[in-house]
Amino acid sequence: MRIVVDHNLCEGNGRCVEAAPGIFELRDDDRSYVLEERPPASLRGKVELAARLCPRQAIRVLDE
Amino acid sequence: MSALKLETIDIIDPDLYVSRGYPHQEWALLRREAPVYWYERPNVDPFWAVTGHAQIVEVSRQPALFKSLQRLFMTINEEGAPDPNEGILRQLLNMNPPEHGAYRGVVNRRFTPRGVQVLRQQIEAITTEVLDGLVGREECDFVLEVSAKLPLAVIAEMFGIPRADWDTMFRLSNMMIGPSDPEYGGSNTVKETLELARMEFFQYFNTLVEDRRKNPRDDLASALANGKVNGEPLPIFELMSYFALLIIAGNETTRNATTGGLFAFINHPDQWRRLKADPSLVPHAVEEIVRWTSPVIQFNREAVADTELNGQKIRAGDLLCLFYPSANRDETVFERPDEFDIGRNPNPHIAFGIGEHFCLGANLARLELQVMFRQLAERLEAIELNGPIQRMRSSFVGGIKHMPVRYRIKPRA
Repeated sequence: MRIVVDHNLCEGNGRCVEAAPGIFELRDDDRSYVLEERPPASLRGKVELAARLCPRQAIRVLDE
Repeated sequence: MSALKLETIDIIDPDLYVSRGYPHQEWALLRREAPVYWYERPNVDPFWAVTGHAQIVEVSRQPALFKSLQRLFMTINEEGAPDPNEGILRQLLNMNPPEHGAYRGVVNRRFTPRGVQVLRQQIEAITTEVLDGLVGREECDFVLEVSAKLPLAVIAEMFGIPRADWDTMFRLSNMMIGPSDPEYGGSNTVKETLELARMEFFQYFNTLVEDRRKNPRDDLASALANGKVNGEPLPIFELMSYFALLIIAGNETTRNATTGGLFAFINHPDQWRRLKADPSLVPHAVEEIVRWTSPVIQFNREAVADTELNGQKIRAGDLLCLFYPSANRDETVFERPDEFDIGRNPNPHIAFGIGEHFCLGANLARLELQVMFRQLAERLEAIELNGPIQRMRSSFVGGIKHMPVRYRIKPRA
């Protein structure tokens, strides 16, 4: 699994940080950054929740 | 209860929204039998009515396949209505990627969760002032004296619009959102009302732009007046439209969430007592108010190519209409969807939309509503209706024009 945040969409709503702390981080530019681009499969549930909750649907979870 | 039938239900006639409010039974039937339904009636141009949560999300997250257009919403064909394909403004809601993102980027940092935090003190102070205005009486029109005042004051202050002009902003916003309501449109046709409001808005904003180009300040008006899209200043029509969008959207919807929220509490006194007993519930309560009231009823999309949605064959050029209040009562997403529960968590409502066009002002609206309901819960000692509410004639925005209440309020915060 690989996580990509589209910075053209992300507006720092921070739902991903709530859903998957340690994987996403909100920075001063009001954008979310992926701390762990390829997290272990055990975290898939949290990552998918973050993607689902993102108000701007800026998170993609890729199978690669 | 008479049995509703798919073939005969009406979810578009604005007069029904005046007399009955939101058609929740009709939407429930649609979700159950046809969450993507070809709605064809003699008085309206045909479209796909999308009422399921999953289907609205699916459409919203594919702006390249389901594009936004000039025609923002569906309503009945009435004499004196403007050409729906023309649209009265050209702003974010009519735009698509990449143009939409470029325009949104001009101001979006001011609306992020961090961006709106700088407004907290101001919002607290305005709210206190608004509620102080109720002291010494026991009756008021809650819409005009409370709900309308906070969001209008906040967006006007963000723009740097002087207090003397706030009433004008309120009047013009009502004309733009409720042009087919006789209280706002008078004896003019819908087209005349929209064009009058637009003209007056544009004249006002034009003066503001000229001033802020000469004397830039740290306000929204200056940000727009001096803003750039792809390295160029905004064209005049798009610039004026952007002002109008933010002024209108910044005050109409939060107004209706505030009114609808208090109306829900009046009808659910147990939830009101619960909030007063535990103010830490305010953030959850606000999400539930937004889910429950869903002030924006619908937005349109147009299919760009032939595709399929929930098994229905959608053809390029077909109109789709997304009904957000219906998604927010979807039984497959929410437990007890028809219960107003201020502790609801999680609460994945899509009253602010989702994806490319997610409400730019959502964080501002949330903050305003949180401050307002925290102060109301603290200061209102008694509240009841003092007459029927009056709804706006619109199938686009669920407006409440008047809500007479009788109350008892603490004199000081």
